[in-house]
Amino acid sequence: MPLDLLQGTLDMLILQTLQWGPQHGYAIGQTIRARSSEALKVETGSLYPALHRLEKQGWVKAEWDVTDANQRAKFYRLTAAGKKQLLQERDRWTQLVAAIGGVLSPDNAKG
Amino acid sequence: MDAAGGRHRWGPQPRQRERVIAMRLIEWLTRRHREDDLQDEIRAHMSMAIADRVRDGEDPEVARLAALKEFGNVTLTRERTRHTWAGAWRLWLLDFGHDVRYSFRLLRRSPGYTLVVLTVLALGIGANISIFRMFRPLALAPIPGVENSARLGVLVAETTAGRITPLSHPDFRDLVRTQDSFSGIAGTSMESYSLGLGSGGERIWAEVVTGNYFQLLGVHAQLGRTLQPSDDVTPGGHPVIVLSDGLWQRSFGGDRGVIGRTVRVSGYPLTVVGVAEPGFHGSVVSMDVEAFAPIMMLPQLERRDDLSSRLVPALWGLGRLKPGVTMNAAATQAAVLFGRLSELHPTGDVSQRATVIPMWRSPFGAQTYLLPAVVLLGAMGVLVLLIVCANVSNLVLVRGLSRRGEIAARLALGASRPRVLRLLVIESLALALPGALAGLLASEGLGFLMSLSSSNAGGAAGRTFIDASIDGLVVAFAVILSCGCALVFGLLPAFRVSRVDLASIMRDDLSPRTSTSGYTRNALVIAQVAVSLVLLVGAGLVLRSLESARRANPGFDANRVASLSLDLQSGGYDDARGQAFFASALDAIRADADVESATLATNTPMSLVPGRARDFEIEGYAPRPNEDLRFLYNIIATDYFGTLRIQLLSGRDFTTADDGSSRRVAIVNETLARRFWDGPQNAVGKRLRFPHGEWMVVAGVVRDVKYLRLDEEPRPFVYLPYRQIPLAPMFVHVRSRSEVAAAIPRLRARIQSLDANLPILDARPLREQTELGMSILQIAASVLAVIGVVAALLAALGTYGMVSYSARQSEHEIGIRVAVGANRADVVRQFLVRGLRLGAVGTVVGVVGAAALSRALVSLLYGVSATDLVSFSSASAAVMIVVGLASLIPAWRASRTDPIVALRHR
Repeated sequence: MPLDLLQGTLDMLILQTLQWGPQHGYAIGQTIRARSSEALKVETGSLYPALHRLEKQGWVKAEWDVTDANQRAKFYRLTAAGKKQLLQERDRWTQLVAAIGGVLSPDNAKG
Repeated sequence: MDAAGGRHRWGPQPRQRERVIAMRLIEWLTRRHREDDLQDEIRAHMSMAIADRVRDGEDPEVARLAALKEFGNVTLTRERTRHTWAGAWRLWLLDFGHDVRYSFRLLRRSPGYTLVVLTVLALGIGANISIFRMFRPLALAPIPGVENSARLGVLVAETTAGRITPLSHPDFRDLVRTQDSFSGIAGTSMESYSLGLGSGGERIWAEVVTGNYFQLLGVHAQLGRTLQPSDDVTPGGHPVIVLSDGLWQRSFGGDRGVIGRTVRVSGYPLTVVGVAEPGFHGSVVSMDVEAFAPIMMLPQLERRDDLSSRLVPALWGLGRLKPGVTMNAAATQAAVLFGRLSELHPTGDVSQRATVIPMWRSPFGAQTYLLPAVVLLGAMGVLVLLIVCANVSNLVLVRGLSRRGEIAARLALGASRPRVLRLLVIESLALALPGALAGLLASEGLGFLMSLSSSNAGGAAGRTFIDASIDGLVVAFAVILSCGCALVFGLLPAFRVSRVDLASIMRDDLSPRTSTSGYTRNALVIAQVAVSLVLLVGAGLVLRSLESARRANPGFDANRVASLSLDLQSGGYDDARGQAFFASALDAIRADADVESATLATNTPMSLVPGRARDFEIEGYAPRPNEDLRFLYNIIATDYFGTLRIQLLSGRDFTTADDGSSRRVAIVNETLARRFWDGPQNAVGKRLRFPHGEWMVVAGVVRDVKYLRLDEEPRPFVYLPYRQIPLAPMFVHVRSRSEVAAAIPRLRARIQSLDANLPILDARPLREQTELGMSILQIAASVLAVIGVVAALLAALGTYGMVSYSARQSEHEIGIRVAVGANRADVVRQFLVRGLRLGAVGTVVGVVGAAALSRALVSLLYGVSATDLVSFSSASAAVMIVVGLASLIPAWRASRTDPIVALRHR
């Protein structure tokens, strides 16, 4: 049973995926799925709008290229601004997880 | 920084705005490219997904289907991605343009439907536009050619009985000097005067105005000058006149040399100093005022001193309120100031106060008697519009149902409900806006409007002008009205249609056999039948009123009576010579073998507009405080009652002996005699007089007639002999033995043989004058009849549509029934009954509605009760017959269904 992505986390996951090198849309979806051990399933109906939004904001840059299997595909590459954005989003995520963790921790539940 | 660097390609440090423009341009130019790019991107995604699966050992075809399924809704993905490209408004606009194009394409594809809807809209919207075009000049723009004329305040006197009259000239000047509610007030009064002499003479409307009149209204001269404050100084000292554009064109052929020429107005020579700009028709609603003279010339034009007396009502004021001052505040101030004036100059006439009323309430013009009729028409218009909306709703609904498949497909492909609703509303608008245009054209073609605006409803002198032209305001009204209609007729079906259950429709081969919206459609048909019945009842009531008005006895007999209007003062006569001329004219006319009798009168009966009226004192009668003893009176010659066949109840008629040298006498009507002296028998010998005047002895009592209108209440009335009263313009009434139309030229000739220079301003059968009194009824009857018939046709169309739709839906079932041997008559009966049942319910609802609403018509009705059985039953019968016919045709067609075709169809 795949989990639903939390609102706003898709952008971060895409940026994170692209940190390991330029990727096309299909591979980004597959990578997120594989690295989450099939728990996270990215809907294409969300993936492509997100990619185009990130491109518009200047965090990724798109170029047509050819894959290893000789398939023409559109590759997305992280820009400098994108890297900065990723760091920010990771920070915010860490804070969020810590905060939520604090709320949910058994100590707190007793106290 | 990369992205910013990329933008730098377009120029070294371009300024922000230029960069934005460049970006937009590039975006627009590359839009197509981007669309293809996205398409390629998705295709690449797909082929990689398939390749992965094939590599894992799946069959290529199975892999393709699985990849497609995994990808999900391609259209939706593309749509959402596209949304990230542009700003929200641009996107909305793009979608909007797309919807508009789609709508027009759809309408083009079904021209029959489009034509029917447009015709229905054109009728409904056209009728309302026509009514609005009458309403605007009466209430919104009362003075054509003048900005913001509806906001002018009218400064007048008001009696305690609530009657509005002009102010006296001295009172007006004092009020204007002391008030501070208005930034400016101009005075005016309207009179009908003769222009020119002899057979070339004609009667025109003229305004006699203060010097600031043109300045206050903001009207300029196209030639020469307008009247100035310098024309407003010395009584009798400014013999000048300004012509209207219409009079200048008509009587002077647009000759620029007219300036400086002398024209005779009411016989008095005035010099033309200017021509007002075209489009200005004076300040009196519905009257075409063609000449403007300074108020200082009133004594010369009226031949009596109207300027210095505080007793003579002479003029009313038109004023622009200062910013922040309300009409009520101005009225209060006027009343206070007038109260002080009355203390300063006691006249004994204390039953008046000054007040300020808005233009639409001013009795000087047609607004007060036309507005109620127009408002009533407006109510009718709204009813018609309801039918139109119901009708179009029905059409849209029926069509919408047949489009359920398409809409289901749209929803299935991921279109949101608001998006589908928007498409349906835009489709309605695509109908409504051409509908507004068609309505404007239809309104232009509706003849009744023209008959209203050009009818001679003004008594003796008949030039009227109502600016019913189409301007921006009318167009805006049409557009707003049609958009409103579109929302009503578009949204109702749109909500129904877009609420579809996807699964059931997709399963049901995209066209459901059973429809759940039968209730809505039936209700729409019932509403149409009911409303058209209300309108037909209204038309019936007014038609029957007209009929009984034609049969009614007004108390006099106008048949075979000719009426000629003479103005001796303009011909240069004084009192003595004038009376001598009238006497010899009567002798000459009575000598004609064809003439049965002849007489003179200053007023015609049933004149619509109140003529002469003055306060009277009754000897021995102490009026209650504020009792209105202002009565209409007529100045007549001998044999008036014989000529008009008015019955003498007691006493005697005037004789030639009742002249300036004998005792002053009067004849009163029955109502006056009953009110003060217990009836006709006691009245003879009693006395009455004008305030401070000589006593007049009642010589006789005559039966009441209808003095102004057929539907007036009995009112006191006084007749005075013309030889005892100063000379006035008079009508000659002649009863002929032969056809009156043939007698008129002979009568003209006889009078002109006595004085070739005398203007005969008007010569026509008296009947024409008295029938003017019915003109309002006649107009109302024809308008209501037209609207009622249109409504009935629309209801027929609605019924027809409903029955034929349900017949088409049941085609399959009919086919089976006919195939197994059902009687075709049964099929006809089935659908006929379905239509008639709705018609019957609609009729019942309509009768109840008409009974409630017909009370609004009471002021128009004559001799018919508002719940007249004949009108109600004939309207109901008419509606039922129409509904029956409208159901019979599709019912019959349904019974001709070929079972083989019908069964094969599915």
